[in-house]
Amino acid sequence: MPLLEISGLTKDFGGLRAVSNLSFGVEPGEILGLIGPNGAGKTTVFNLVTGFHRPTAGAIRLAGAGLVGLKPHAVTRRGVARTFQIVKPFPKLSVLENVTLAAFLRHPARRDAEGEARRALEQVGLGAKLAAPAADLTLAEQKRLETARALATRPTLLLLDEPMGGLNPREVEDASALVRRIRDAGVTVVLVEHVMKAIMRLSDRVVVIHHGEKIADGAPDRVVQDPGVIAAYLGKRVA
Amino acid sequence: METFIQSVVSGVLTGSLYAMIGVGLTVVFGVMRIINLAHGDLVMLGMYGAFWGLTLWRLDPFVSILLWVPLLFLGGMLIYRFLLKAIIPGGELNTLLYTAGLSLLIANLALFVWSGDYRTIKLPYALSPMRPFGIAVPVPLALAFGLAILITAGLSLFLARTDLGRAIRATSQNPEAAALMGVNVDRISMVTFGLGSALAGAAGVLLAPSLYLYPTVGEILIVKCFVIVVLGGLGSVVGAISGGVLLGVVESLGAVYVSVAYKDTIGFALFMLVLLFRPSGLFGVGKS
Amino acid sequence: MRRAVPLAAVVLVLVLPWLTASQFTLHLAITVLLWTVLGVAWNLLGGYGGQVSFGHATFFGVGAYTTLILYLKLGLAPWYGMAVGGAVGALVSLPIGLVCFRLRGPYFSLATLAVAEILRLVALNWEGLTNGPVGLLITALPPVRIASRPIDWESKTPFYYMVAGLALAAMLAAYGLARSRLGAYLLAVREDEDTAEAVGIDTVRAKVVTLALSAFLAAVAGGFYGLYFRYVDPDAVFPIALSVEMVFIAVVGGLATVAGPAVGAVFLVTISELFRERFLVGHLIFYGLFMMLAIRYLPEGIWGGVRRLVSGHAPS
Repeated sequence: MPLLEISGLTKDFGGLRAVSNLSFGVEPGEILGLIGPNGAGKTTVFNLVTGFHRPTAGAIRLAGAGLVGLKPHAVTRRGVARTFQIVKPFPKLSVLENVTLAAFLRHPARRDAEGEARRALEQVGLGAKLAAPAADLTLAEQKRLETARALATRPTLLLLDEPMGGLNPREVEDASALVRRIRDAGVTVVLVEHVMKAIMRLSDRVVVIHHGEKIADGAPDRVVQDPGVIAAYLGKRVA
Repeated sequence: METFIQSVVSGVLTGSLYAMIGVGLTVVFGVMRIINLAHGDLVMLGMYGAFWGLTLWRLDPFVSILLWVPLLFLGGMLIYRFLLKAIIPGGELNTLLYTAGLSLLIANLALFVWSGDYRTIKLPYALSPMRPFGIAVPVPLALAFGLAILITAGLSLFLARTDLGRAIRATSQNPEAAALMGVNVDRISMVTFGLGSALAGAAGVLLAPSLYLYPTVGEILIVKCFVIVVLGGLGSVVGAISGGVLLGVVESLGAVYVSVAYKDTIGFALFMLVLLFRPSGLFGVGKS
Repeated sequence: MRRAVPLAAVVLVLVLPWLTASQFTLHLAITVLLWTVLGVAWNLLGGYGGQVSFGHATFFGVGAYTTLILYLKLGLAPWYGMAVGGAVGALVSLPIGLVCFRLRGPYFSLATLAVAEILRLVALNWEGLTNGPVGLLITALPPVRIASRPIDWESKTPFYYMVAGLALAAMLAAYGLARSRLGAYLLAVREDEDTAEAVGIDTVRAKVVTLALSAFLAAVAGGFYGLYFRYVDPDAVFPIALSVEMVFIAVVGGLATVAGPAVGAVFLVTISELFRERFLVGHLIFYGLFMMLAIRYLPEGIWGGVRRLVSGHAPS
């Protein structure tokens, strides 16, 4: 059974249809890439799954249980964590405090929460910067902080929104390795990304969205050759 | 029926003055996104201006208004330039708290200097009300109403027709775009704050013959002002006018048909309802 | 240093009645301590949680009236009445919170102000319950013995120790909150509510619980006020000025710190009460002036500034 199942998902913002009758599944343990031209609706899908927006129609199920109508914190509690396209650390708090906040979800006592936070920070490679104020970190480090914060909630499903945006090639390599480590530790990952090389190499499977609709769904090397996908990215006249 | 009409007329007259106070606050919010909690105290200063003008120099308030309005305009600009300008970058909340402090400072300085005794202004021609169609209309209130209409009309023309007015409207819609168009946003903010203060002062002078004067009257006025401005929508001049008149009428009718005691409560209950169901008000532009 | 200062303060508070015979000084100290409780109460929601309420007088008044009504009409001793008043305050805060927390920023602040005004007007007009503008008056307090000696209610000393105990309890509660999960959640809510939600924080619940705690403390303080001054009327316990002063004490003293409101109370209340002794009116000038100075030059408040200096510019 798929871990995450999206069926007939539709979202209208006034007159604009951002997501249209979208259906796909995410298998447990896989890394799914979600790609598409800018404005295709990818972040909206994340916002719908995590409860920031309510779908106009359609169903979202996590391990069979419906997520629609739950408030964001409740979705997180069910086991879905996300990062944001534009990083949102709590700038005045330290790195450790940022992640401890998230760890409190599963550990009401401060000591346990801090322990969980340290573990997550080690996992992303920020173990040396626990006391630094979050605002002092580089962009790449802040992205890792976001990931650690998400991991500290012990998710079964992790939604990463453009984790490699703004990173140099070396940082992209490191970030890719981290995503693999996370998956190997037992977390299913859905990844929205524009850095094609990275996402094609990381993903087990890719779903392509254009104008809010799914136009392709399959292994990366097949999707890349799909004429519809090529047309969407490069425009109709390719020959 | 006659009671109803009398009640509505009184409400509209008072409401017009509330409206002027509200317009001052809302114009400042529209351009600078700040809620000036000291606005009510600027009205109070206008009221005392009228009082001292009459007591010390025998100037009728409707004459001394010509002195106080420019003075408060200038004062408002100075407040912006030397006090508020440095605070605004700190955020909405800090600015709100700062103006709360300013409000307390002004009101208490006034208390200290002028004492808390209630004052009234007695005008010789105000002794008996006019009676058009049998409806009692106090003379000063009618005069105030007339002037309030003139001032508000003047303001609308100013905002719509003059370059400065257009610049103010542009800044209130989108300060960044306005800046790109060559508008000096800082200067506009200063002028707008002066304008808001001048309106407050004018409302104070016009209200003075009709209310008891005491230094902390700003407290009640600012609360009423919020009800108005939220009813009409923060940032909307039309909204403030409608809200002001609406509140005046609701209070007046409430006093007659529900009870004098609970008339203020009605205003607040209305306020809460609007906040809950339509926080952007009837015409609002600010975010909710 | 960190242990010494609070310890010294506690000792000073405990021995003050022996150091001075002046009833004025004791009255001043009682006032400072009462405002400390109020400032700490407000700070829980306003400083830690970032939800600026301009209507906390609501709970103060509810506590004061509950205590006096229960004593005058049912004979319940005021110290029990204070506790009941606190519970009533917390209960009342639930619907208020659920309604007001749907609003953000200045709209929330205005809504809380409106609530306090509505309650003041209700107290003014519901004469059957509150005696309206005439208010409620206690003529005699119940006799109490401690170690077989009766308490002298004419002296200020018993009241002093009562309120000192309240202040200490309030500060301990704040300390416990700050270190707890709820305290951490509040800081997140203050910074960025949406991100807080994404991280699994039930922001509404955090705000409602904090408000209830804050309301409880403010209401108990209100009960003490009724007990000490023996008279309450709507304009004494529900006025806007009272709500606003609470805000000022917390901001000038230091938001989101345990001791900040105490420092703010000592500073502001002392100066203004001394001024009032001499000049009778206008004592709130200092509140206004110091709020403006604080926001401009010392946004973390006096106590926040002191801590920053002492720890050598380390971020708090």
